[in-house]
Parts: sequence; structure tokens; C-alpha cells
Amino acid sequence: MVKLTIDGKKVEVEEGTTILQAAEKLEIPIPTLCYHPLLEPYAACRVCMVELKGETCKLVPSCNTKVAEGMEIETKSERAVKARKLNLELIMARAPAAEKVQELAKEMGIEKTRFEIIDPDEKCILCGLCVRTCEEIVGANAISFANRGKDRMVFTPYGEPSEACIGCTACAFFCPTEAITFEDIHKRLVVHEEMELGPSTAVRVPIRQAVPMVPFIDEDSCIHFKTGECKICERVCEKEAINHEMEDEEIEVEVGSIILASGFKSFDASRIPAYGYGRYENVITALEFEKLVNASGPTSGKILMTNGNEPQAVGIVHCVGSRDKKYNEYCSRVCCMYSLKFAHLLKEKTNAEVYDFYIDMRCFGKGYEEFYHRLMKEGTNFIRGRVSEVTDMPLTEKEEGKLIIRVEDTLLGEIRRIPVDMVILATGLEPGIDQNEIAKVFNISCSQDSFFLERHPKLAPVSTFSDGIFLAGACQSPKDIPDTVAQAGAAASQALALADKGTFELEPITAVINEELCAGCQLCVSLCPFTAINYNAEKGISEINDALCKGCGTCVSACPSGASQQKHFRDEQIFAEIEGIFIE
Amino acid sequence: MASYRLNIMICAGTGCVSNRAFQIREAFDKEIRKNSLEKEVLTVMTGCNGFCAAGPIVIVQPEGIFYQKLTVKDIPFLVEEHFLKGRPVKKFMYTPPKETEPIPKMNDISFFQKQVLIALRNKGIIDPEAIDDYIARDGYAALSKILSKMKPQDVIAEIKKSGLRGRGGGGFPTGLKWELARKAEGEQKYVICNADEGDPGAFMDRSIVEADPHTILEGMTIGAYAIGASKGFVYVRSEYPLAVERMHNAIAQSKEYGLLGDNILESGFNFDVDVIQGAGVFVCGEETSMIASIEGKIGEPKPRPPYPVEKGLWGSPTNINNVETWANVPAIILRGSDWFSKIGTKTSKGTKVFSVAGKIKDAGLVEVPMGLTLGEIIYDVAGGIHSDKKFKAVLIGGPSGGCLPADCLGLPVDYESLTKAGAMMGSGGLVVADEDNCMVEMARYFLNFTKDESCGKCTPCREGNAAMLDILTRITQGEGTMEDLDLLEDLAHAIKDTALCGLGNTAPNPVLTTLRYFRDEYIAHIKDKKCPAHECRQLNTYTIDEERCVSEGHGCDVCRRNCAYDAIMGEKGKAHRINQDKCAKCGVCYEVCKFAAVKVD
Ligand SMILES: Cc1cc2nc3c(=O)[nH]c(=O)nc-3n(C[C@H](O)[C@H](O)[C@H](O)COP(=O)(O)O)c2cc1C
Ligand code: SF4
Ligand code: SF4
Ligand code: FES
Repeated sequence: MVKLTIDGKKVEVEEGTTILQAAEKLEIPIPTLCYHPLLEPYAACRVCMVELKGETCKLVPSCNTKVAEGMEIETKSERAVKARKLNLELIMARAPAAEKVQELAKEMGIEKTRFEIIDPDEKCILCGLCVRTCEEIVGANAISFANRGKDRMVFTPYGEPSEACIGCTACAFFCPTEAITFEDIHKRLVVHEEMELGPSTAVRVPIRQAVPMVPFIDEDSCIHFKTGECKICERVCEKEAINHEMEDEEIEVEVGSIILASGFKSFDASRIPAYGYGRYENVITALEFEKLVNASGPTSGKILMTNGNEPQAVGIVHCVGSRDKKYNEYCSRVCCMYSLKFAHLLKEKTNAEVYDFYIDMRCFGKGYEEFYHRLMKEGTNFIRGRVSEVTDMPLTEKEEGKLIIRVEDTLLGEIRRIPVDMVILATGLEPGIDQNEIAKVFNISCSQDSFFLERHPKLAPVSTFSDGIFLAGACQSPKDIPDTVAQAGAAASQALALADKGTFELEPITAVINEELCAGCQLCVSLCPFTAINYNAEKGISEINDALCKGCGTCVSACPSGASQQKHFRDEQIFAEIEGIFIE
Repeated sequence: MASYRLNIMICAGTGCVSNRAFQIREAFDKEIRKNSLEKEVLTVMTGCNGFCAAGPIVIVQPEGIFYQKLTVKDIPFLVEEHFLKGRPVKKFMYTPPKETEPIPKMNDISFFQKQVLIALRNKGIIDPEAIDDYIARDGYAALSKILSKMKPQDVIAEIKKSGLRGRGGGGFPTGLKWELARKAEGEQKYVICNADEGDPGAFMDRSIVEADPHTILEGMTIGAYAIGASKGFVYVRSEYPLAVERMHNAIAQSKEYGLLGDNILESGFNFDVDVIQGAGVFVCGEETSMIASIEGKIGEPKPRPPYPVEKGLWGSPTNINNVETWANVPAIILRGSDWFSKIGTKTSKGTKVFSVAGKIKDAGLVEVPMGLTLGEIIYDVAGGIHSDKKFKAVLIGGPSGGCLPADCLGLPVDYESLTKAGAMMGSGGLVVADEDNCMVEMARYFLNFTKDESCGKCTPCREGNAAMLDILTRITQGEGTMEDLDLLEDLAHAIKDTALCGLGNTAPNPVLTTLRYFRDEYIAHIKDKKCPAHECRQLNTYTIDEERCVSEGHGCDVCRRNCAYDAIMGEKGKAHRINQDKCAKCGVCYEVCKFAAVKVD
């Protein structure tokens, strides 16, 4: 520990502490510009100068000067204050547009600079925080200083967009004066994309309603995953909860039963080009709209178009990707109801005219039909008919600057064009991306629509053909939240029932392989619908797992050498029985 | 050396080379062949002799006859008279001003009399490209001495006792620096020779490297042994190609002799040296920038501490010394610290090499003992002011030194006295100004240099020096105010107090010292809008003494023809006059009028 005096106050700090940190402890403010606690001191702005008393009384930069025993520091001596002010005045002349400098000047009592201003719009104070961030934290070294003396500036190699830049925008984040801006190449004020919103903080909670509410590191945004550097989070997390050395690991867990709840994926609306998703920025999907209206969304819940204005008219298109032979023949079950919810929210939050394009209104649940009626009263315009096209080509003045929805109104029996500002596509539900792989891993079947097949649609809707494997939620078929919760409860109780019993009754009539006869052709291995047969390479024969075998007999009938036999139904037994019958 | 009757030492310093030293050598060689003297007479190109004003210089050894201002034409006669007939030629010798009898021997010339040569002990005496010449002058004896008889600690103790201080500007005690480097923790340690020499007009270090590269290598090897370094770098600016070449040559030779490289002189000590070429950036002479530059980074300073002796090149302890500092080391080891510390003053021991330039008669390179007064250097060694004008000031310490007035001529040259007077030893630049020099302009001139060389890292140096320059420019153009003067002074103090590196810390020195000693000149510019030295032309008024124009010059019309602004009225044979409205104050008329009819006020 080191004892020193600052402005007459005594303080004891650890060795290696800087004067600035020691002053902080005493709550003595010292202005700084080029200092950042996460970066090595650079000591270039020289507004943090303090007077070091003693034999060789001199000014030292507090951000970079380590404390020493018995040091005596004056932060407000006339000499220090005068020098600090002059340096700030010089910085003001260089970067008159830098707000942070203006604020600091006000605090220091400087009204205006006496030095010549060359560029009134300049913001960069050459503090080097950006360059140092890019070097020390990001490790990309994409920017540096160019030129000497007064011509110094922050620059990329040859002034071209730097190839080394990873687009992390950390430089802009560290820049104290907003001298660095970054451009969203989409030029959107409001970003609707549901998934990645471009550069976002790499450590975050997925959404505010997430359960559990634990932050995660997004590998796509995290600098460490790009350059191997940074690890700022590790340094600032006081609980030391972050460990970048941690690696992915495979763990094996022994369980008695498994509930599959692998969910669904949303229909990719760009597969229907006529609806203009991806081409028109105000054509958005249902999930994007969900994010937009969410209070923790990009607009804090305001419904805005990409230009930042509220829409005057909004169209909601049902059955996008559902009930259509070209995409999915099935009904996704949830779109009608969430579309009605959207219409309600739009009415509540905006003054927009709402048009709802439906084929049939499927309000099958408890209270759903009533909600539909309420919406009709609220003034939503329901138009029955499949939307054929969304376009931005106006035919009349009224359509100028709008998105026009073309639809055959089957109630009026005519083709209509409805101009709107925003189109919400009620995208349907599809099996998850890795549905087939999951099916393979668990050896379960899928129905024609690729959703997991239940053992029996009416009698065993949450079981599969494999004992101990159950289904819950949209991986089995599209369903809404109450249905999912109900199915999940059922699956859980079946699993619990198994666990409670503790034992499991095996199928008594299973196949068995005669080791002597088996030639190791492995035909049975590929045929077994329950993955009950393994090939034992050591012995050169196939073997049956009794716990998995359902005794279906497929292998028995397929085995070319007759090695596979069904217990209690061996060929000899059957022949003997037949013979017995004839003896009688 | 011994096998020749005569050695013709031809100075190959910059001054003499531009006065055709190489052609003179060719002429000598031709004449020597013609007279079949090849076996008796040898010509050698040496490093700078120092007496540049008398160049090209040739010294005939072993007698030490000093010939000056030779031309190619003179050589046949000289060879015949001196080399064949043994009669030194008086008319090519140096004759002091106001005297008639020439001085045949170099050491009798006053320019050399007060000099004491340590760092430059071999200049002009040896062939810099011949290691044997160096060895013949006790070269590498000091290295052999330490490797056989002294422990590293003893070497450091000896250097400490000698009182040697850094010659690169800071004047830090060399022995102490070595000790710190020795104590610093680190497997790998480095030594660096700073031969960047960025001061405009300075050529001390260049002359030492070019005249005697081996002494630097020997000094560095001794230093490396003392601190425990195994690798060294000589950082030379690439504008010094001859120095680079000679250094490379010296390294190759000493390696061949086993004086550098692995297992030096069978002692088990290894040390290797590389030459690094700098790109001529002034701030790269500053040690932390130099380290960055060697590492391949942008050459800009870092805050110290940590000092290079703790964390230098690639984070390892690194000891940087100036060329002249290194050159002193072998002499100290060989002749002992007692001998060395007898030379100089109480706090500043030994000698210092200066390059003397400006309005001085005998400009050149001198090595004088510390403690000699400024007056002695200027008048006794360098022959006084050019054209016998009045001395006004001397800028000592290079572009970041201070301008000292006539009152300071009695000041002894040592680190402390100079610093107290507002100047500094610097690396040894000495520029003399006479009555025709404007002190404001002088400050402006040097500040313009430092402003251009500022790396731009820290605010006060980058912005402040440019702001000071603005003010000085305004003043020299007659647009300054008294408030400007206060602001200038405040700025100068703030920059000195707060700049990050030595460049910024010292850049205001010319301004501060001229403000201190020549404030009246500033005030004349501001209040009277006049430049007392008439150097700031914008403040001058040019008029023609019509009477004199006719009576002396018969209206020669030269001024009118030379005036680019058509500001002069008149015709041949008649009185001329200047139209003040058109006059751009370029001063050409004043310079071209041979009859002193143009007056300036
Ligand atoms: C702007 C600046 C330029 C410098 N240029 C030189 C130089 O050209 N040569 C030199 O030897 N030292 C130069 N120095 C001093 C070096 O930083 C360093 O102090 C010196 O090389 C140490 O050697 P010494 O102890 O032998 O003097 C310079 C310092 C500054 C601040
Ligand atoms: S751009 Fe910002 S961070 Fe970078 S040097 Fe300029 S002010 Fe500092
Ligand atoms: S004082 Fe000048 S040269 Fe030194 S770091 Fe500051 S800007 Fe660069
Ligand atoms: S904050 Fe200390 S020098 Fe910039």
C-alpha cells in the first residue's frame, strides 16, 4: 500500500494505482479525454495534468502517473489549471463540434477558444481511443493515425475501406465525441428483421421475457470469436462468470424417457415472390411485427415504418405458406388468431385503417369466435379472398407511394386494389430445420407433412412408436400455446408415470439371432424400424437389443440365412405345431 | 600505415566533399603515379576534420602539415614541391586573419588549440574503413581490458566514476543508466546507439560515425558487456549513406577479427550489432519513438515511465546512448575515470562536440572541454563573427535550444548553466546570430521546424506549437497585439509543462528565451510595427535617397529593372523613386543597388 496526499487529503491505495484512480477514491474530479479504464493509458490529450509537489515541482498526467510513497499532488494549483485550460482551449479549436469538449469547457469555465478554428464541423480530438480500441481490444488494427503534427488524422490504410475492419463498430462506441459514425447499408431507421439486427451487443439476454433470464454471448457479434482478442466482458464481470476458454463439450446423460419438443420454423415469406417480402421494406412477417410491438423491441413498442413514421393503412395477409398446395397443404392453425390480435393491437396503438385478408376465418378455440366479432365491431375491414400480389406500382394518384394489395374479394366477386403503408404476412408454421435429423437420431417417424408422427392420432397422441419417447408442441403439428401446454403436460405425466413405476415391461416376443448361422450381412440392421439391431464387428455378427426390439418380425422374414428367429415362434416351433395339428 | 613515407589525409566530411575533395584525391593519385611515388605516399579519405570553413582540407602526416582551400589545379605543384622536394608549400597553408605568416601545423591553429579531442580523437588521423588503423591507435584495447580484467560491475563503476553524461541531449548520467539496465529484469537485453541526429544543420554524430565507426562499436560492446546485453542496434538516418556504409563495413571487419559476434576475444561473451536505417523523422531520435520504429511500429513517443531501461525494445530492458556518448567509453576505460573527470566542470565532465554554424567565421565541428565559455567557443575557436558584425545571440541546443544574448557569452558551457539560462546542451548545435538577425524571426524559424516535426500525438505540441507559430507569424507581419504576447508566453509555458515528450517540452525554448532576452524586439514589432534588424520585410519601408541615386549611381536603373512589382519610377540617368502603394517589400532593390541609395527603415 502507498500513502499519498491529494489536495491536502490523505489517501492510501495499492501500489501501481495511478494518481487519477487515487483521486477518484477521494472523489476529487480530474478531467480526462483520452483516458479509458479498459485501455492502456495513452497520455496524449494532456487535460488531466496535475501538479506534483516536491523538489522538482512539475506537472504530470494523472492518467498515466503511478502513485509513490509520500507523493503530494495538487489538482487545482494555478499552474495545473492554467495548463489544463489552455490544452482544452486548443482542443476546442481543433474540434469545435465535439459536444463532450464543449461540456468540459463549460465545467472548466472556458467560454470560447482564442485559437483559430479551421473546420467548424470537426469532431475528432485525436484522443486515439478508436485506434487503440481497434488495436488493443479488437485486435483488428484496421485504423491508425496518418500524417504528422497538425495534419494528423485517423485513417484507414490508403484511405480505402479497411479490409481488416470486422465491422464491430467498437471504435465508434469508444469515441467520446461521436466523430465516428457507421452507416447501416440498408439505410433503415427502423430495423424490422426478426433475427439479427446487424451489430448488436454481443452479450445480451435474448428477449426480456426470456426464461431463464440469463445473458448469452452471441458468437456472430462477439469480437472475440472473430479476432481472438477483446475479452472485455471477462475483465469487467465482477463475478468472474465469463470464461472464454470454455469449450463446447458433449455430455452423456442416462435417462429413462425423452420428451421431444423441438418446435417449428416460421415459413420463409420470400418463397412467395408476389408478396414482395425482402423487396419492399415495409412488407414484414408476423414475427417481425411481434418484435416491433414488443415494449422491449427496437422501437420500444411503437408501430413504425422503416422511415420512422406511423402507418396510415396496414394490410394483414392470412395463410402465407399455409393451405396452399404449392407450399404447405395444411392449415397452420395459429395464423388467424394471431392476425386478429395484430389487428386489435394496430387499432389500439395507431390510427391506421386495418385490412384483414382471409380465406376462412378459423376461430376454433374458447372465446375465439367472440374475439373475431369484437374485431368486426372495432372497425377492422375483413376481406375474404386470397391475396394475389403486393406491388408498389401505382395506377392512381391515391396509390402513389403506397403498397398496393391486389385481391379477389370473393364476397363482392371483384378484383380489388387496396393501398396500404405496411403489409404483415401471417406466415405459417413448418417443421423445424433439423426435423429429419432429430427423427433419425430418435428413430421415430414423420407424417407426410414432415411433422413427427404420433403413435395414434386419437389414443396415443403424445407417444411415438418408440417406448419412452414422447412428443410435445409444434414438432408434432402446428398448434397454439394452450394446445402446446396441454400436450406438454400430457407428455410430462407419461414420462413421470414411467419414472414412477421404475420398471419397464419388455416385449416378451422379440427376435433373436443365432450366432452360428449369422453371416454378418447386416441386412437386418438397415431394415429394423426400431434401431434394435447393432452389428458387432468383433464377432462379425448382428446382435439384437432386447430393450428396443418390438418383435415386429421384419428381420426374421428378411434374414437370408435364417439366423434371425422370433422367440416362441421359431421356424421349428411353427413347423412342429403344424405337424401336431395334422397328427390329430 | 608505417610502410609509407607520407600519408595524405584528405577530409571527406560533407563540407570538403562539396568542395571537391574526391576530385582532389584523384588528382593526388594521378600526380603520385606520375612521379612514381606510389610506394612512398598513400592517400586516405578521412572523416570530417572539423575546420569546414577552410575546406577542402588535406593533412600530410606524419609531420601534420595542414593545407586548406585546395583546388585540383594546385595539386601538381604541391606534389612536386612537398612530396618530391620536401618543401611544404606556404601558400596553401592557413594564415590567420590580420596576420601574414602562415601556420604550417594543424595543432598550432587557434581553431584547434582550445579543442580537446576524445570522441573525435581519431578524426582525420585514421582511415575509417581500416580496422588496422583503428587498432594501431589503441583501438579495441579497452575491450580487451574489460574482457580480461574487469567484471561488468567494475565497468559500470568506472563509467559512473568518470562522470560521463549522455551527449544526446538529456545529459543523464551514463553509468547510472547502465546500472539500471543491468539491474532490470529480463533474459534478453539490448543496447542501441542513437545516430538519428535530427537537428537541422547538426553533423556531430554523423562525423563521428564516418570518421571512426569502430570506436562506437567498441563502446557499444563494452556497454553490452556491462549491462548483459547480447544484441545491439545502430539507428542511423538513411540520409547518411556514408555513415551507414562505414558502419556496415566496420561490423564486418570486427566480426572477422573476432571482436564482435560469438565468443569475443575467446571470453565467452557474445554480442552482435545490426544497423537500422531511420526515415529521417526528428521525433524518432527520441528514445521511445526509436524503439517503436525499430519494432516496425509508427515512430511516435510513449509516455515514460516505463523507461526503456525497464521496458524497451520488445518489452526488454534497453539501454540507449548517443553516438558521442558511446565514443567516449573506450577512452574512459583505457585512460581511466580519473583522467576523464579532470576534464570539464564539477557536474559536467569531459568534452562536448559542437557544430558551429550561422554568422561565424570558422564554421565547423569542434570538440571542447566542458566549462569553456560560449565566448571562447565563438571567438577563440570559431574565429568570431562573420564580416566582423556585431554579435547578437547564440542559439545553443538545436531547434529546441535557447537564444542567449551577449550577456551570456561568459557562461560556461555545462549542462546546468545552460539549462539555467533557458537553453540546453542538446546534442550540440550552435547557431550564431548577428545584428542582422531578427530574434522574433529566429524563434519563428525554429518553431516552424519543430511544428513540422511534431508527431501530433499530444495536444500541446500538436496544437500549441502551431498556435504559437501563428502568433509569431502575425507579429513578424506587424499584426501582433500585446495580448498576443501574453498568450504566447502562456502557451510556451503550458507546452513546456505538459507536452508528452522532449520534442514538445523543449520546442518553446527559442520563444521563451527570445521573450526573456529580446522582449524589446517583440515590442518593436507590435507597437512600432518595425523590425529592428530589418529582417521582417513586411515591416520595412524602402525608399531611395534620390540625391545619392544620381550622384553616386547616375540613375543606373538597376533597381527599376529588378522590381517585379513595377513599384519603382524613374529612368536611366535620373533619380528613381519608389511608389509605396505598389511596393511589395520584397527588398530586391535594396540588395541590387550597388550605391547604397536604397534605404530601409
Ligand atoms: C525530439 C527528440 C529528438 C532526439 N533526437 C536525438 C538524436 O538525434 N540523437 C540522440 O542521440 N538523442 C536524441 N534524443 C535524445 C534521446 O531521446 C535519448 O535521450 C538519448 O539518445 C539518450 O542517450 P544519451 O544518454 O547518451 O544522451 C532526442 C530526444 C528528443 C526528445
Ligand atoms: S475518432 Fe473519436 S476516438 Fe478516434 S481519435 Fe478521434 S475523437 Fe478519439
Ligand atoms: S511532444 Fe510532440 S512529438 Fe512528443 S509526443 Fe507530443 S506531439 Fe509527439
Ligand atoms: S486523460 Fe491523461 S493525458 Fe489524456
